[in-house]
Amino acid sequence: MTASALTELDGAGLDGLGARAVKVLPGLVRWGGALAAALVIFSVLLLVKGVDPFEAYSRMWVSTFERPRSVQEIFVQMTPLVLGALAVAVPARAGLTNVGGEGQIIIGAVAACGTFLMLADRASGALIDVAMLVASMVAGALWAGLAAALRLLGGVNEAISTLLLNFVALDVLLFLIYQPWRDNPVGQPTTKELVDTAKLPVMAAGNKVHIGIVIALVLVVVVHLALNRTRWGFRISVAGGNAEAARRAGLNVGLLVVSALMIGGALAGMAGMIHFAGVEYKLRPGFGNQLGYTSFLACWLARHQPFPIVVAAFVFAALSVAGDSLQLDSGLPGSSVNVLTALILLAVLGFTTKRKVSRA
Amino acid sequence: MSLVVDVMSGGVRGGTSIMYAALGETVSERAGVINLGTEGSMLVGALSAYAIGVESGSPWLGALAGAAAGGLLAGLHAYLVVFRGASQFASGLSLLFLALGLTSLFGASYVGSGLKHGFRTWDVPVLHAIPAVGPILFEHDPLVYAGYLTVPLVWFVLFKTRIGLLARTAGERADSLTVHGYSVAWTRTGAVAVGGMLAGLGGAHLSIAYANAWFENMTAGRGFIALAALIFGMWRPWRVFFACLLFGLLDAVSIRLQGVALPLVGQAPVQLIQALPYALTVILLAGFIGRAVAPRAIGQPYVKEH
Repeated sequence: MTASALTELDGAGLDGLGARAVKVLPGLVRWGGALAAALVIFSVLLLVKGVDPFEAYSRMWVSTFERPRSVQEIFVQMTPLVLGALAVAVPARAGLTNVGGEGQIIIGAVAACGTFLMLADRASGALIDVAMLVASMVAGALWAGLAAALRLLGGVNEAISTLLLNFVALDVLLFLIYQPWRDNPVGQPTTKELVDTAKLPVMAAGNKVHIGIVIALVLVVVVHLALNRTRWGFRISVAGGNAEAARRAGLNVGLLVVSALMIGGALAGMAGMIHFAGVEYKLRPGFGNQLGYTSFLACWLARHQPFPIVVAAFVFAALSVAGDSLQLDSGLPGSSVNVLTALILLAVLGFTTKRKVSRA
Repeated sequence: MSLVVDVMSGGVRGGTSIMYAALGETVSERAGVINLGTEGSMLVGALSAYAIGVESGSPWLGALAGAAAGGLLAGLHAYLVVFRGASQFASGLSLLFLALGLTSLFGASYVGSGLKHGFRTWDVPVLHAIPAVGPILFEHDPLVYAGYLTVPLVWFVLFKTRIGLLARTAGERADSLTVHGYSVAWTRTGAVAVGGMLAGLGGAHLSIAYANAWFENMTAGRGFIALAALIFGMWRPWRVFFACLLFGLLDAVSIRLQGVALPLVGQAPVQLIQALPYALTVILLAGFIGRAVAPRAIGQPYVKEH
C-alpha cells in the first residue's frame, strides 16, 4: 500500500482539518528534515572555523527576530523578493522559465530613475511615484518581451535568453551610472538622490518598513486570483501543459506565452522601482545585487505558488538579515550566510523531490 | 602595432579561464545537463588552487586541487539533477550561492596574502619568436598552453571516441543509450563532473596564473560569459575556443579604453562594450548570424520508461 493511500485511509475517519493535517504531515517531516540537515552541516563548517554553532545560532536568532530594527529590515528585504518571485511564478504557469528577474528588476529601476531625472522638480512627489511605477512596469515587461519575441520568432529557449539579458541589463545600468547619469565626480558613482517627497512613505514614523510590502502582498492575492480564477489563468496553464492540445482547442498560444512572460517582467520591473524608491533612492553599482536570482530560488522553493512565496521570501530575507549577525557577532564574512541559504535549498532539492528519476 | 599585440595578448590571457569553463560546459551540455553552477565551480576552483598553491608551494598541485574542487561541486549538481530529478536551473543557482558562501567563509584568511609560487610566464621556444603571433599566443603561462591542447582533446574525445559518442547520445537520444544497456544517469554524471573539473581549472588559472591573488567573488561573472561563449560557439569545441578569444579580446579592449575619449562618441562607453558578448549571443540565438542548435535533450531530466 502506498503512503498516499495510507494517509487517505487514515484521513477518512477524521474531520476536514485533521484529514488535511495528516496529508501535509509527511511533507512537513521532509521539510523539517531538510532544514535540520542544513543546520547540522552548517554547524560543522562553523566548528571548522572555530565558531561555536549553538552560540552563533542563538545570536543569529536574537539579533534577527528580537530586535525591532531587524524585524523591520526583514519586511523591507522581502518586498522585492515577493514581487521578483511572482515574476517567476506567472511565466512558470505557462510552462516558461524566467531566469531574467535580475535584469528585469534592474531595467525597472533604471526606468524609474530615468523618469525621476526627467520630471525632477517639475512634478509633485506623488505624480513622480505614479510615473515611475508605470515606467518601471512597462520597461520590465518590454525587457522580458524581448525574450518572449525571440521565443516566438526564433524558437529561442527563454531560460537562456532571459539569463543572458540579465548581464546586458547590468552593463546598461553600469554605463548609465558611470557616464550620463553620474552625479558625483569622485568616489563610488551614483545617480542623483530621489527627492524626499517621492520616497515611498513608511508605515509609521521611525519605522523602516515602507508601503511597498502592502503593494507586494496585494499583488500576491491578485496573482493568485488571476492564475486560479480567471479564464486567462486557465488558458496559460493549458498552453503551458500541452501547447499542441491548446492550439487544437483554438487558443492563441503565442499570445498567451507573450502575455505571461511580459506580465512577469512587469512585476519584476515594479520590484526594481520599489527597491529604488523605498530603499536605495539612488542607482549605484551593485544595485539590487542578486535580488533576481534569490527571487527565482524563493519561487522555486514555494513551488511556484503565490501564497507560499510570501513564506519563502520571508525566510530568505530573514537569512540575509541573520548574515549581518554572523558578521557582527561571530566575526565571519557576511556572505557566509549564503552557505546556509544554499544548504537549505540543496537539502530541499535532494530530499523533497517527489520521485527518483532514472536509477538505471 | 605593439599596442594591438598587447591588447590581443591580454585577450588570450584573460580569455583562458573563460575558455576552460566554456569547454567544460560544452561537455556537460552535450550530455544534456545545463550547469548554471559553472561560475560556482570556477570560484571554488580558484580558492582551492590558491590555498593549495600557497600551502604546498606548487602551482601544479594548486591547479589539480582547483580541478578537483570544481569537479566535486559539479558532482553535487549531477547528483541532484540526474538522480533526484531536481530542476537544473534551481540546482545550478543554489550551487552558485553555496560556492559564494563557502569561498567567502574559507577564503577570508587568504585575501591579501602573497602567492610566491604562482605560474610564471614561459616562452615557447622558437614559436615565440614569430613576429606578432609569438607574443600574442606563445608568451604565456603553462595553463594557457594546456588550454590550447584541451580544445582538440575535448573535440577528439567528444566526436572521435566511443565515450564521447555515449555522452552526446545522452544529450540527444537518451532512450537509445538505455536500449543498448548503458546508463544515462552515470554517463551524464561523468560528463557534468568533467565539465566541473575544467571550470575549476579555469578558476585556478584566474587565481594562480592571471591575478596571483585571491579575493571574494573574483570570478565576477566569468562563468556566465563562458555560458554565452558556449552558445556563441554553437556547442562545438573549436568554435567555443574562438568565441572565448573574441570575448577575451573585447574585455581587453574595454579595459584599454577605460577613461579614453573617442572621436564623435566622447568618453568610451566601456560598459556597453562589456555587454557585447551577451548581446551578440542573444542575436546569434535569434538566428540572425547562423543557427545555434542546442543538444535535443538539454535541460530535461531523463525518465526511464517501463
